[in-house]
Amino acid sequence: MVFVKQCVNIYMQGDLRSDQGSSSADAHPAAPPPIMAQPSEEFQPLDRRVVRLWRITRTISSTVLLIIASVILTGVSAGFPGLAFLLPYAIGALFVLLVFSVIWYPPRAYRAWGYRIDSKVIEARYGVIFHSTHLLPLNRLQHVDIHRGPLDRAHGLSSLLLHTAGSQAATLVIPGLDQGEAKRLRDHLVEIGGDDAV
Amino acid sequence: MPFEPEPPRLPPLNAPDVPPVIGAVPPPLPPDSDAKRLHPMTLFFAGWGVVRGWLIPIVIFLFVGRYELLTFLAFMAGLQIVFSVVRYFTFTYRIAGAELITREGLIQRHERNIPLDRVQDIKIEQGVLHRMLKMAVVQVETAGGKGAEATLSVLSQPDAEQLRRLIFERRAIVRGKGAETTEPQPEQPAEIIRKLELKDLVMAGLTSNRMASVIVLLGAVWAFADDVLGEKAYIRMQQAIEQWFAQLATYDLQTTIFLFIFGAIGIILFSMIISVIGSVVLFHGFTLVRHGEDLQRSYGLLTRRTASLPRRRIQVLQIQEGILRRLFGLAAVRADTAGSPAGDGQQSGHDSLLPIIPKDELGTLMPVFFPNFDNEQPDWRRVSRVAIRRGTLKGSLLLLTLSAILSFFYGQASLWALIFLPAVYLINVLNYRHLGYSLGAEYFQTRRGWLKRSTHVVPIRNIQSVVLHQNPFDRRHRVATLIVDTAGQTYTGGGPRISNVAMKDAVHLARLLSQQASQRRLQW
Repeated sequence: MVFVKQCVNIYMQGDLRSDQGSSSADAHPAAPPPIMAQPSEEFQPLDRRVVRLWRITRTISSTVLLIIASVILTGVSAGFPGLAFLLPYAIGALFVLLVFSVIWYPPRAYRAWGYRIDSKVIEARYGVIFHSTHLLPLNRLQHVDIHRGPLDRAHGLSSLLLHTAGSQAATLVIPGLDQGEAKRLRDHLVEIGGDDAV
Repeated sequence: MPFEPEPPRLPPLNAPDVPPVIGAVPPPLPPDSDAKRLHPMTLFFAGWGVVRGWLIPIVIFLFVGRYELLTFLAFMAGLQIVFSVVRYFTFTYRIAGAELITREGLIQRHERNIPLDRVQDIKIEQGVLHRMLKMAVVQVETAGGKGAEATLSVLSQPDAEQLRRLIFERRAIVRGKGAETTEPQPEQPAEIIRKLELKDLVMAGLTSNRMASVIVLLGAVWAFADDVLGEKAYIRMQQAIEQWFAQLATYDLQTTIFLFIFGAIGIILFSMIISVIGSVVLFHGFTLVRHGEDLQRSYGLLTRRTASLPRRRIQVLQIQEGILRRLFGLAAVRADTAGSPAGDGQQSGHDSLLPIIPKDELGTLMPVFFPNFDNEQPDWRRVSRVAIRRGTLKGSLLLLTLSAILSFFYGQASLWALIFLPAVYLINVLNYRHLGYSLGAEYFQTRRGWLKRSTHVVPIRNIQSVVLHQNPFDRRHRVATLIVDTAGQTYTGGGPRISNVAMKDAVHLARLLSQQASQRRLQW
């Protein structure tokens, strides 16, 4: 148990979440000049209902995946009779993994998600195992889409798609926003951003 | 004969006169031009295309004696010719208001309107036949989209140049800000920035790594031989090669080694000759000219290409030095615009702003590409020292795996490969020293590589977004990968990306970059 705690500690250290987590060992000639203060806005979480939404979508995709994988594995094991005894274990392991991803993953992903908008930049962070932070200058916005799938609608949620003219990271998707909030955000972003569309 | 930028001529009669732009009030646009057809020579080129496309199959079928397929070929060729004729008689283009309008189609009418202020680049291309007949292909490109938005093939050479001038002039008017017109105005003198001599191009060919392309070529020839020559010849050839190898085995070791070295040198020489020829044919008579804001390149021995690039449209600039080029102090400069299409860069040379240039001349050239480039030495910052450790670990693991595989097949003697372990460490230290980023007043730069180096220059006003990534290992070492995204990164190897930046610096840098970008207006 101690070992697990240590692992968790290591896991959490030097995390995108803790901006102060500096490392004195990585001495630099000099830090870049401090032109700006820390952003004033706090990170906003997504709508709490998104956890349930993600659980449902993950259950659906996991079930499909499990069925396909079982069919393939059964087919393969027919070709290798010596290894056929492994089949239930393989499917069982996959099942456990998928259950884990349905139960454990969505709350983590929810906690990992955060976004903040000040007058100039929108900053979004996300990712449970691979952390990412995406910073998007608001006047680079080309257009903003609201996307609502059937499950989104059932939960009263929307996704916001922020498009820039970039190439590899051209679109930032903020999922799981309350539909009213998404509209408000969209109007706000369209109003302050986008003065230099292509 | 190199194709010099022509001195400005009087506008032809049918070209509307562009009034001078005064003050903030945009002048009215000149009257619309009538819908025009392509040059009648289009039909000839269409026919030539069909002949060229089917000639080789026809010859092969005649040779092999499969005459029954010839009727099918004739039918296909005929169909193609009918299509081309229909296309010629239905295709029209005109400039109306602020748009270029192309229209084609007999049954399904297809009309395309291209707003002139979205036009990024107009390319004029001439193959050997085009040049003999004074014809040209015009390609109009806008931001986004794959490839050219409109391809006019073919126009007469004067028509092509006139069209380009017309589009650029109108675009300047459409933009309204006549004062900072970006396009070649007739009265603006052309300033020749750089001409490449034959010896530069030979040097470019010698230092480019085209070994791989030669091997690919040989492979293709072999596969082709397999397809065309038929079973018997193929087997005979294989036997010959086997015999040759058998003969080789009868020689003593010394002769074998000698022959191998001789063969290797032969292959290298051959590849060098190929790449020199390739470089000379592609870039012969390379001239980079500046008309006001417009950088114009024209080059090519057989196919003559002219491409113009307004310099403020450069999204990312890459200075690339391969191993050999670094030894000789040479570099190649590539640039991306928002419209760079994927794919065609290498073989058409559109990706190269300058195919070869002595490194020390770049200092004087950078202000030509970026007018406000701070020419002081960039203040390079290093990433976290963790980079050395991680790189060494990765390299050692690779080496260990390789030597394990080798020793599995060739016995334990192969473990000698492990003597390279210190070299792995050394290379990582050197790479670390040459890895860095620099944040200037208007430009962000990254560089990487010790043996071969790649430097990216991004004007901060062109930054579209900044992304930080951390995988679990990155988190452990408290570092992150910083990616700067811009519009168009096809020619510059994916734009700037720098790994192992200490997390604290990375977050700070990312915020700084995005804030500074948000304070600048992006101009297309």
